Amino acid sequence: MKTKLVAVIVVALTVWGLKRHYSDAGADDLRWMLSPTAWLVSTATGTAFTMAPGEGYVSHERLFVIEKTCAGVNFLAAAFGMVAFGFMHRVRSTVSCVSVLGASLIAGYGAAVVVNAVRIVIAMWLATHPITLFTLTAGDVHRFEGIAVYFGGLVVLAELARRIDRSAFLARCGR
Amino acid sequence: MNLGIRAAIVRAFRRAALPLASYYAVTLALPLANGAARPGTAFVEHALVVLVVPPFLIVLACMTRGIARGLLCACRQISY
Repeated sequence: MKTKLVAVIVVALTVWGLKRHYSDAGADDLRWMLSPTAWLVSTATGTAFTMAPGEGYVSHERLFVIEKTCAGVNFLAAAFGMVAFGFMHRVRSTVSCVSVLGASLIAGYGAAVVVNAVRIVIAMWLATHPITLFTLTAGDVHRFEGIAVYFGGLVVLAELARRIDRSAFLARCGR
Repeated sequence: MNLGIRAAIVRAFRRAALPLASYYAVTLALPLANGAARPGTAFVEHALVVLVVPPFLIVLACMTRGIARGLLCACRQISY
């Protein structure tokens, strides 16, 4: 019970710390998120991105910037918290606590990079193929796309975590 | 609304409770706790969109799945 409480506090502090770092950081400080995201987007679209100090990753060819707001730190915080809370019932000792938190952080980071890259690839497509829905502006469509991709990503990640948790339980039961 | 679709929506909300809670916590609760809802900020409008879109997507996905299943069932019955 005490270990679980410590785990919950560590998760809450990590999420709060991530948000705090995100609000204070510039694009250069967020390279650990922006760099793999830009690489994935570049691989998926064939568009070359170059690092512009203080701005982020720029594609002069597509007139597109992967900047601080595209870093996906909010998604990382949500994904880490969600996976950690989803596996909280497995925390029974210090070792299991560290394992759950470590695995949650890795899963959250990996998912954040992939989901964020998907969101940016769609945003790049929307920038060249503008959609007009009712009275929505391009900014509104971009916002809806962001919410849909991030929330969809969280649902998929939660489902994956649930399946892994269930298969690990069944394997332990010898079924 | 079809009873099957309604049950599917309830099930989907139950399954999506954790992602929904973590999404709301990071995008709404934490900014609110940091005083983002000050008058004159665009946060309230943004928060409304963030609040409404995920449940709307869940309902839309369930209805699309329900309708697709219904159509598939009807097609099978016609072909037999």
